[in-house]
Amino acid sequence: MKTGKELKPGTVIKLENDPWLVQKAEFTKSGRNSAIMKTKLKNLLTGYKTEIVYSADDKLEDVILDRKEATLSFISGDTYTFMDTTDYTMYELNAEDIEAVLPFVEEGMTDVCEAIFFEDRLVSVELPTTIVRTVDYTEGSARGDTSGKVMKPAKLANGTELQVADFIEIGDKIEIDTREGGSYKGRAK
Amino acid sequence: MKASWDIFCSVVDNFGDVGVTFRLARQLVAEHHLQVRLWIDDLNAFARLCPGADPLADQQVQDGVIVCRWPKEWSKTWQPVDLPDVVVEAFACRLPPDYIEAMHGAEKRPLWFNLEYLSAEDWVSGCHGLPSIQSSGLRKYFFFPGFTEKTGGLLREAGLIEKRQAFQVNPAARHSFLRRLNIMPHAEARLMSLFAYEHAGLGSWLDCLAQADRKTHLLVPEGRILGDVQRWLGVEELKAGAVHGRDALTIQVLPFVRQEDYDQLLWCCDFNVVRGEDSFVRAQWAGQPLIWHIYEQDDDAHWAKLDAFLELYMAGLSELAQQALTEVWHSWNGGKAMTHGWNALEQHTDELAAHAERWCLEQALQEDLTTALVRFYQSWI
Repeated sequence: MKTGKELKPGTVIKLENDPWLVQKAEFTKSGRNSAIMKTKLKNLLTGYKTEIVYSADDKLEDVILDRKEATLSFISGDTYTFMDTTDYTMYELNAEDIEAVLPFVEEGMTDVCEAIFFEDRLVSVELPTTIVRTVDYTEGSARGDTSGKVMKPAKLANGTELQVADFIEIGDKIEIDTREGGSYKGRAK
Repeated sequence: MKASWDIFCSVVDNFGDVGVTFRLARQLVAEHHLQVRLWIDDLNAFARLCPGADPLADQQVQDGVIVCRWPKEWSKTWQPVDLPDVVVEAFACRLPPDYIEAMHGAEKRPLWFNLEYLSAEDWVSGCHGLPSIQSSGLRKYFFFPGFTEKTGGLLREAGLIEKRQAFQVNPAARHSFLRRLNIMPHAEARLMSLFAYEHAGLGSWLDCLAQADRKTHLLVPEGRILGDVQRWLGVEELKAGAVHGRDALTIQVLPFVRQEDYDQLLWCCDFNVVRGEDSFVRAQWAGQPLIWHIYEQDDDAHWAKLDAFLELYMAGLSELAQQALTEVWHSWNGGKAMTHGWNALEQHTDELAAHAERWCLEQALQEDLTTALVRFYQSWI
């Protein structure tokens, strides 16, 4: 069983006997010790998509999935092709299927991802918790701050924007924590 | 045949839960002619809001609402009841497993609402009305009160604003109401009410009122703030009925009053300090300036709610009034000294009063929460 709070992109839960893939999950505190998870789900049998809300402590039946290591091979329009690193099989996913990690997926990335299979079908991909990306654009340091506490916006090669430390410059490699939407972790060593 | 509704209310630590659910239940009965059972797990809290109620009765009728005891040991004592057409679990309280089981096995399953907390945050409109499919296959719908048309709106009885406006322009009605509660303010004094949680900076605010040029008569219904008031006054005991003067400030402690009386009390006052959810909404319908003492949450999640409301509420106020109001609300909720912010706010009294009335009328243009729930049910069937 999984609780509402544990739902994250890539989780598959069973509802009314059908497997549903969590494509997006947003956690919010709603009120006194109460929290909710808004999810975007896709029925893996029919392809039907819907939005559903759960209380953080709702109990849901999760589906045990196969997981394999995979890397991104190439991107063609909205189609993302991943390759199984052990048997070199190619699998395709639509942008929507990996909506939650899409901001950090870019051509040429070498991260070893976790490919999630339901009945031998690739349904989603999870990125490693920490990834390294290059800053494509950011303004110069405004205050000369070196503490890492002052933040400023920066853009990655695929256009994703995130807040980084003030001392980060164009071309710097940064570490990103991919959980909960992705956030700057520090300058890559 | 009347549609039947069950509302479940778990009283956690205050009166907001029971206050909101009783208002909702009464409105469903009075205006939508529905049959309503209100299940409450703490009838003592209910009896304080509804003085005629019996805290020991398993079942009683109050204002047309069938009020039932929600026993702690539900599964041991519960006898199966006829399932209603609609079930409301208020503020994410958990329905008894036996009851859910009965819903699951029913030929005609009820519509199941989770009535959520009030928030002005953006995400609320994206979640309002969405279903939640349980592992049993039952569906419940999340219903969010709120301040925009993309939410469920606020509890507001039919004719409330007209009734309030008529009361406020009728000095005899006001005088008569205040006399009934033994409130006899000085003719030149402004009237204020204080219903809040504990506040470390309260003394600085009372100092401001005591040292002001204008007299203030501060009404304090019994509640959690009383200890701080007592400390400031330096008295050994502070009970309902007590009246103490300090320079320009008179403080009067009131007994806990029923909902209708509390509404009229808010209408009588020039400024109200309110807390939680129920009194917060009622103070907005009073059309008077207010301070909201928000319920403190883990991880400081309440600050985002406070600021989200302020952002909506302050639209149209001058920049200086916005700054002063923000400082006062932040100081109050942060337990900080109030002197600077309050003195700044005092410069905008007329603007804030006009704004409070305007905000009230704008909010009243929206569908009320009870009607929105009923309409959702009608669409659902």
